[in-house]
Parts: sequence; structure tokens; C-alpha cells
Amino acid sequence: MQQILAMIRKEFKQIFRDIPMMAIIFIVPIIQLFVLAFAITVDVKQIKLLISDFDDSRASREIIRAFGNTDRFKIVGYTHDLNCVRGNFQEWKAQMALIIPPDFSKKMARNLHPQVQISIDGVDGNTAGVALGYAQGILSQFGTEFLIQPQYRSRLKDVHLVTMVERMWYNPDLSSEQYMVPGIAVVLLTILPMMLSAMSLVREKEIGTLEQLMVTPLKKHQLLLGKLIPFLILSFIELALLIAIAMPVFNISMNGSFFLLAVLAFFYLFTTLGLGIFISTVTQTQQQAMFFAWFIMVFMILMSGFFIPIENMPQLLQKLTYLNPMRYFMYIMRDIFQKGSSIRFLYKDAVPMTIYGLLIFSFSVIKFQKRVG
Amino acid sequence: MNAIKITNFHKNYNSVEAVKGIDLAVNSGELFGIIGPDGAGKTTLTRAVCTLLVPDDGTIFVDGKDVVQNVARIRAILGYMPQRFSLYPDLSVEQNLRFFADLFQVPAQEREERLAKLFRFSRLEPFKKRKAEALSGGMKQKLALSCALIHTPKILVLDEPTLGVDPLSRQEFWQILHKIRDEGSTILVTTSYMDEAEQCDRVALFFKGEIVGLDTPENLKNHYPFPIYKIYGGDLRGLKSFFDTLNTVHTSQLFGDALHVSFAEEPSLTDWKAWQAKSGGNLQRWVHHSPSIEDVFLELLREQT
Repeated sequence: MQQILAMIRKEFKQIFRDIPMMAIIFIVPIIQLFVLAFAITVDVKQIKLLISDFDDSRASREIIRAFGNTDRFKIVGYTHDLNCVRGNFQEWKAQMALIIPPDFSKKMARNLHPQVQISIDGVDGNTAGVALGYAQGILSQFGTEFLIQPQYRSRLKDVHLVTMVERMWYNPDLSSEQYMVPGIAVVLLTILPMMLSAMSLVREKEIGTLEQLMVTPLKKHQLLLGKLIPFLILSFIELALLIAIAMPVFNISMNGSFFLLAVLAFFYLFTTLGLGIFISTVTQTQQQAMFFAWFIMVFMILMSGFFIPIENMPQLLQKLTYLNPMRYFMYIMRDIFQKGSSIRFLYKDAVPMTIYGLLIFSFSVIKFQKRVG
Repeated sequence: MNAIKITNFHKNYNSVEAVKGIDLAVNSGELFGIIGPDGAGKTTLTRAVCTLLVPDDGTIFVDGKDVVQNVARIRAILGYMPQRFSLYPDLSVEQNLRFFADLFQVPAQEREERLAKLFRFSRLEPFKKRKAEALSGGMKQKLALSCALIHTPKILVLDEPTLGVDPLSRQEFWQILHKIRDEGSTILVTTSYMDEAEQCDRVALFFKGEIVGLDTPENLKNHYPFPIYKIYGGDLRGLKSFFDTLNTVHTSQLFGDALHVSFAEEPSLTDWKAWQAKSGGNLQRWVHHSPSIEDVFLELLREQT
């Protein structure tokens, strides 16, 4: 016990003495949080809309007003020249064009299938799809409102309109931060412990102190515990710091139990700390360790559903994600934050995650040898 | 009982035979040197003694315990100083020492006394707050030695401790080793500096994984069979080619300031006069030279091949 404490004390001394390291541990994740949370947004807002109104009637102006009234669209200009639409698209000045033909209001009055044209810049398919959805919503709303005006009421006798009442659960504002920030916390708990433990073990290998430690009566478990406990503590401090900053700044709501979160994070850390040990056993220099960790990390993050929803992946890849421990913790974290899920709902993810963690950790500990060859 | 007893120790790295079955016994309280050039297998041997390597064949007993089976017990009585400087460069001298004191579980009451003593003999006291990375080469070695001594080991194993250290610090380092030996510890030390053999009680000359000679430095030198002369002159290269043509010359070797020539039999004064005349005045002076360990080593290698 005294020996483990000696290792822990030494490790902390080294961490706190290394100022650039401290900066990497404490400042970089916060910067990451801000950059990622703002940058990785799936919200589609302020779509640049170009209006081409050839009808210029009361009805067409009402449609335009409807588009202008929501912050999802931003009217960037009016034109009667259709070539102008092409030009604006190419210069990224407009993303969508609403073209109302000259006979729009006449056709509407005569009940002759009035049409408007929506042109969208489809380069960013995701945004285009969402924008189209918004436009459809506005136009159908317009149609409904138009029909229930008194002069058309008579036609409504036999029509029963289905109205949709929307209730967005868990994330009523559809804020992407609410979705992304817990994900960023998972990324942090993956990168930080893995990198720190791998680097610190390999560093001892590099400078030769590992050889010195090996000939001391220090046992393998004491050496590893002394090495890992400081990183475990640091990881929890980081997590707490991240949540403490993110909640007020991004207005994130935490609907679940912090205690459950901490317990499950602890089990997840078996995976990442275990991977750190594993990396240190197969590499000789910090550079090699860095590349290896990077390689593992990219796969884990891409296959975790952090950026790309797993449901959008091809079937085969979806199955492969079950091999990724990060996938489970990603679900757990998002569920606890947004749905406030209890362990009753989370065990499906928590059990495989913990099994992976213990397997990876034990394998790495066995592989870690207290000999040089 | 031997402090270290090595029997038929073999170690291969893939297809390379690093150590080819050596037998060696180090007595208790002895300062034993393993002398050999780089790549002779010295580090492999020390690592095996320190339980860091498992022998491919043969046995090693340290303090009567097998290095494969009694790892923990051996590590507790062993002090090891690896070849590379391996302390924490970002911790201070004192922090390094205290850390190893913790790991070796040096009792609190003994600790301060122990530290004071180590500071005294290493003269590192004034630098105890300095980071280890800021120490000079000689001081680093002394710190590494101090860390290896923190738990008063019965047996101390040092792998090329004086490598790359200036001559003055080397001298000081050996004095410290003598003191430790005099206090009763057994020391196994490796070096590639032949002249350091003189500092040891007994030495094993090590070459390509084999022991080519094993005795006290005195005996090794006394058994050197040929008279050696140091020969001074204007053109040493010219002299060397001249002596190489003589039948009576056993070997000739160029050193910085003189030519070392060993003869199959003691040359007479008339021989010298004749050679001086033949060399056209190039041969200026000759001095009888007692063989050094280096001469012995080279001779043993010649006999081998």
C-alpha cells in the first residue's frame, strides 16, 4: 500500500511539474468542448433564401411573409431573373430559391393545382433535406390556412383535415448541443486516459526507469495501480469540469443521476486505461504509442455514433459497432443526460461495456511483463 | 556460499547467441568486474542476474536463490543500476531518492540516516533540490548509484556505470565502489574500459558471449608470457612495419605516443643496437613495459582465434 502511494505521489509530482502537460490535460479539452459543440451542429438554421416572385399577389406575398417569419430561413434577396439564382448558388450566396410563377394566385382562385418551385443547393444533402422539410411544412400550413378562410369554407364540407400536434421528447428545442456535449464527454474519457496511461508507461520505458522499477520489489499490480489511479482521478476531474462548464454555457439539461454516470464512467475507464496499457506493451517510443493510440481512437470515435448515427451505417458496419466499447458508453451517456434513464434501461449497454472493459483490462495487465525480454 | 553462481548460462536473441554457456561464481564481499567490448553480452548477463531476463539454458543463483523462481526475494536484496541513466529527469535529486526509498520500503527511522549517508559519500547534498536532468554526467551516475543503494542491498549490480563519464568522476566513482565493498556488499560491475579492471578484485574477460579469462588482475597480467617494450621514435608507423618483419616479434601495436611490441624471447642489448642501426636512427628509445589488461585481453583473443 505504501508503495502504491509512493507511485501515485511520484506520478502526480511529475504531472504537476510538467506545465505543458497540465495545459494539455486541462485547457485543451475545454477548448475542444467549445469548438466541437459549436462546430458540430446538425441544426439547420438561417437557410439563405432567394425569392423570385413573378405573381406579386396577396397570396404570394403571404407565402413570402411566412418564410420570412421563421428564423430557419433568411431572405437574402429578391430577383426576377432566373439566371441570378444560378449565380447566387454558385457563389454560396443562396442555398434555396423560392420561385412563384405569374399565374399562381389565379390558379389558386380557380382551384387549378397552384404550384411553386423550390430549388435547393444539394451539395450538402443533409441540410438540403432538412430545408426541404421546413419549406414543405410552411407551404402546407399556408394551404390549410388558405382553405379555412371564409370564402372557401363551403368547399370544406367533405374535407377532414388531419392536423399534426407535435411533441418533441427529451430535447424539445432540438438543440444539437444537448446531443453533442455528452458525446464530447465520452470522447474525452476515451482519449485522455488512453493517451495519458500509454504515454506515461512508454515514457518510463524510453528513459529506462521502467527497468529500474522492475528490479524493485514493487509488484506488477502495485506498479500498474500506482500508474493508473492518478489518471483515473484526473479523468474524473476532467469529466466533472467539462459537465460543470457545459451545463450553464450550452444550457444542457441533465435528467439522470450523476452517481450512475460516475459508476458507469468508472467501468468504461477500464476499457480506455486497459487500452493504454496494451499500447504501452506493444510500442517502444512515445511516438509509436501516439500513432497507435490515434489509430485506435479514430476507429472508436467513427464507429461510436458520435458524428454518424449508427442507424445510418451499412448493415455490416452496424454489426461491427457492437465490437466497439465506446459505442455502448456513447448511448449510456446520451441516455442519462437526455432521457434520464435509470440502470433498468441502461443495463443492455452497461453489461457488454463492462465485460469489454474487464476483458481488455485483464488482457493488457497479463501482457504487461515485469521483465525486459 | 557464492553471492552469485552462474552455471552454463545461455541466452539467444532470435538466432543470435548473445551468451554462449558461461560459468561464473562471484564470492561474497567481492568487487567483481566483467570486462569486455561492446556487444560482448555484458548487459544480457547483468539483466539475467537481476531477474529481468529468463535464461534460455543454465541456472543463476543470487544469494543462493534461483533467479527464475525467487524473483521477489532477489529483488529485495539486490541493487541494480542499468546502463542508461534511468531516474526520473523531472524529479529532484531528493525526490528520486525518496521515491526509491518508498518502493524498497526503507523504514522511516532508517531513512533519514540512510539519505544523509548517501549524500555524504556522493557529495550530492548541495544539489538535492536540483532536477536530475540538470545534473552533470558524473553526478547523474552518483545519483543512480545512490538510488540503487538506498535499501542497503547485499548485492549490487552495475551495468557500465562509468560509460561516458569524465576520468576524474570515474576515479571518484571507483573510490565509492571500494568503500561500499569494504562495508561488506558484493559488487558485480561491467565495463568496457580495460584500465578499470585494475580496480576490481577479480575480473572476467568477456568476448562474444564467452569468458576468455578469469582471475585477479595481477594474476592475469603475471601470466602474460611475453616481454613487452614500449618503443619511442620519430615515425612510429615506419617502426611498426620494421618490427613486423622480425621473426622474434610476437605482436606489435600502435598506441598514441609509442609502439608496444611483445617479443617471443627477451631481446638483448646487442639486438636493440642492431635494430637501432637498421632503422636509421628512427628508433630512439625503448622501455620495458609491464603488460596491461588490454595486452592480456588481446593476447587471449589471439589464442582463441
